[in-house]
Amino acid sequence: MIDYLTTTVVLLAGTALLLPLLQLTKGRNPNLAGYILALVLAAALLFIGLFTLNPTSVPWAASLLIPDQLGGIFALVTVGITLAVTVASFDFEKSTSNPVYYSLLGFTALGMVLLAYSQDLLMLFVSWELMSLPTYVLAGFDKKLRSNEASVKYAIIGAMSSAVILYAISLAYGLTGSTSIAAVVSGFTSHPSALAGVATLLFVAGFGFKMSIVPFHMWIPDAYEGAPTTISTLLAAATKKAGFIAAIRVLLAITTVYAVTRSPVFSMANVFAVLAVITMTVGNVSALTQKSMTRLLAYSSIAQAGYILIGFVAYSNAPGSAAATLGLTGSIFHVINHAVMKGAAFLAAAAVLLVLKRADLRAYDGLGKRMPITAFTLTVAFLGLAGVPPLSGFWSKLLLVLSVANGPYAWLALAAILNSAFSLGYYAWLIKRMYIDEPESTEKVKEPFWFVVVFAVLVGLIIGIGLFPQAVINFASSAASTFVG
Amino acid sequence: MSYVLSLLIALPVFAAPLVYALTKVNKKLGIYASLGLSAFVLLIAGYVFWQVYAAPPAPGQYLFQEKDSWVSISSFGLDYFLGTDGLSSPLLFVSALLTVLVIFGSRKLIDHHEAEYYSLIFLFEGAIMGVFTSLNLILFYIFWEVVLIPMFFFIGVWGGPRRKYAALKFIIFTFTGSTIMLFGFLYFYMGMPTPSFDIPTIQAMLLSHQIPAALEYVPLAASFIGFAVKLPLVPFHTWLPDAHVEAPSPISVLLAGVLLKMGGYGFLRISIGLFPGASVQYAWVFLILGLFSMFYGAVAAVLQKDLKKMIAFTSINHMGFVLFGAYATLISGNVLGIQGAIFQMFTHALAIGSLFMLTGYIQHQAGTREIPLLKGLGTSMPRTAAILVLASAAAMGLPPFSSFLAEFLVIAAGISASAITAISILVPVITAGYFLWMIKRTVLSSPEPGHEAHDMGWSDVAAFAVYLIPLVILIVTSYVILNPALPVAEFLKGLT
Repeated sequence: MIDYLTTTVVLLAGTALLLPLLQLTKGRNPNLAGYILALVLAAALLFIGLFTLNPTSVPWAASLLIPDQLGGIFALVTVGITLAVTVASFDFEKSTSNPVYYSLLGFTALGMVLLAYSQDLLMLFVSWELMSLPTYVLAGFDKKLRSNEASVKYAIIGAMSSAVILYAISLAYGLTGSTSIAAVVSGFTSHPSALAGVATLLFVAGFGFKMSIVPFHMWIPDAYEGAPTTISTLLAAATKKAGFIAAIRVLLAITTVYAVTRSPVFSMANVFAVLAVITMTVGNVSALTQKSMTRLLAYSSIAQAGYILIGFVAYSNAPGSAAATLGLTGSIFHVINHAVMKGAAFLAAAAVLLVLKRADLRAYDGLGKRMPITAFTLTVAFLGLAGVPPLSGFWSKLLLVLSVANGPYAWLALAAILNSAFSLGYYAWLIKRMYIDEPESTEKVKEPFWFVVVFAVLVGLIIGIGLFPQAVINFASSAASTFVG
Repeated sequence: MSYVLSLLIALPVFAAPLVYALTKVNKKLGIYASLGLSAFVLLIAGYVFWQVYAAPPAPGQYLFQEKDSWVSISSFGLDYFLGTDGLSSPLLFVSALLTVLVIFGSRKLIDHHEAEYYSLIFLFEGAIMGVFTSLNLILFYIFWEVVLIPMFFFIGVWGGPRRKYAALKFIIFTFTGSTIMLFGFLYFYMGMPTPSFDIPTIQAMLLSHQIPAALEYVPLAASFIGFAVKLPLVPFHTWLPDAHVEAPSPISVLLAGVLLKMGGYGFLRISIGLFPGASVQYAWVFLILGLFSMFYGAVAAVLQKDLKKMIAFTSINHMGFVLFGAYATLISGNVLGIQGAIFQMFTHALAIGSLFMLTGYIQHQAGTREIPLLKGLGTSMPRTAAILVLASAAAMGLPPFSSFLAEFLVIAAGISASAITAISILVPVITAGYFLWMIKRTVLSSPEPGHEAHDMGWSDVAAFAVYLIPLVILIVTSYVILNPALPVAEFLKGLT
């Protein structure tokens, strides 16, 4: 019997390969390729769900892919977001109706699924590239100067980060004679050396580009702003999460570079704590001064990456402790929530761009009157991102802050809390603009159908997980505890 | 298990969409439905209040308890845990009462977006009921935050000329304060030997000395910031005059009558109730801060020209009494302080509520709230003027209004803590002074010639009677609040 993961991989690869052939047909429905991909992604979601409930080892890649719940969560999140982006694209990409667009989305989804389950550095790298290369093209899909600039910038930075990761992998292989993540980690731990420390920090940098950790974040606002906004959604809500799964698999297992540098200052917990506090602060402060919605969302997305790192701090500080499980659970949970909330926010921005043809914040004045559903979606997403209860974002932030609330990193907890309060400054300001400020024109506009469908699902998730978080927390918690061991 | 308290929260929450739909169909219908539903909530709250009076729970016990696991994983557990006692039941009752009166008073004063307005009032009421009944710190925090969102829109959408600024200032101040408070809770939780967020469980651990004394300081400081912003305590008060001036009058009633009580409630239930050791150690600091707030509020009120701003500062002055009374009990062991604080919260809600609603009428009828411009109310608007005089008397603490008794109890407890605090007697004197001066200028002056003003109708007079008559009745029946408050006061005193 063929396992569900293999089925998913074959299904996604086959669809992505065959979709471009649709270009040869004439007189087809312009969205046909999109419909096909949406169905395939929905099926993939179902199969991954079944696989996660019932994990079996994958015969053709037993040493490359690890069938655990952690991978399941990341595969579900990334494929789910790709599905949301695909459905929203029915409206957004109508003008091009190019099947290649959907084919590339399919390849990215495939890369993200494989990455989620990778337990070998080479597999990880190959999936990483499979995920990234299509997005370079997608970022430039608008064929506008802005979009092309974003694409080139993103591709150059992306190539650089790939090179950094590859260099780290080669160092790891040279030091331990293996590319299996488990073997590399045990090699680094039993034979610490300066080179192992360098490799670890290179991994931090390489993954950090995708995770949007400051100081590896410079490309993010430009790329998110220039790319078609649906693709920005994909970058912020899905491929960014791929950076986190890679970091959890590789970096968290390396608990300390202390042995390498012989200095307690360079513990992994300290490295993560400093990165976390810088990332969230830079993200939030920069977001406050933006004049375009996509840039603002880009910076807010950077800030959220900082919160996710808090769980890494709790984990590296005392692996195996209750706080470690709590922190990692919080990180995984926040990855899920952030994907949903940021997905909703970016797609709402895409809907505004599509209908009003504008991305500057002036276009959002009085949006509550002009596009009530979009404005409501943005409001719920913003409140969730700020961590206002009882929405989903509150719970994951609660777990994250709780994991470091008392102990050597209590300052980080306080910093995160103050950052949350600070971020409400621009979120509430935008909500004020949408509902209290007067619009430039009061003409009501029609909201695109497929966007509304996606909004309904995402808002339902934000509120639903907020009121009944137990099931998702259980899922994240069991994934975290299998990882903690 | 009884579900009365859940009903008290759920009923307004589910009423919100219903009222929205009905008001969209027909405005009159929506307002009648709102009045009916809020009256029903008041009935339930009245039942809870009466039950707590009839059989006050023993010290450290709660009536109408409900407990259910909400979120639970190996290292983190959280209950849906409700209960009430002599501290929260008067607040539940007065909040429900004010909601009815506010809906009644809004029908003339709110003239746009009615559907959104009335449904948000119910959302606000549901969240408030949650704040006062939660016995779990995280549940408490969740309701606490949910209260902010309707208030943000109340000020921002239905407010005065500077409403946008006031709404943002309000939400940033209060959200920052409450997130810091949350940090305190989390710090406390992670430091406990057997972590729990349930207030009774923590109090049991406190009584059996299972919680290290050193753990209390950080959460006390953090929760102090959260509650001081809400109360508000000088110097955390600057959002309040802005919010009050810009908010529509019915919303000012909710702001002063209900929202500020969250701060006083938090000080009693959480700052003293969970961090008693540290609270006692710094009781003098809190006492002096309370005293300072009382004086500051009173003196600042003298200087105000805007009637509404004057009442806003009176609020700061009155809420200072709550903090002052609470910590006077901790220092002296005289339970009158906490009893008085609880009583003060109840009477202040009604007295200040009526005054704020009155400013709405005055502005609506006379076109201004500026005290120097309001002349001859006594002849041009005799009914309004009469109520203004009575409500001012209630706010000054003039017998037979029971606000007198509340302030008397608090000052008495203060004196038993230290004779020096007897200077607090000056505060009611200043308050009486500026209220009388205001009345002299507005009611007793002669009207501007040719200035037409319409007096309020008898139905509104009846509504104001609902604010003021309980205050008179309570001076002879004060035991309905003071008796159930006694076990609470004794329990809090006993924790230290």
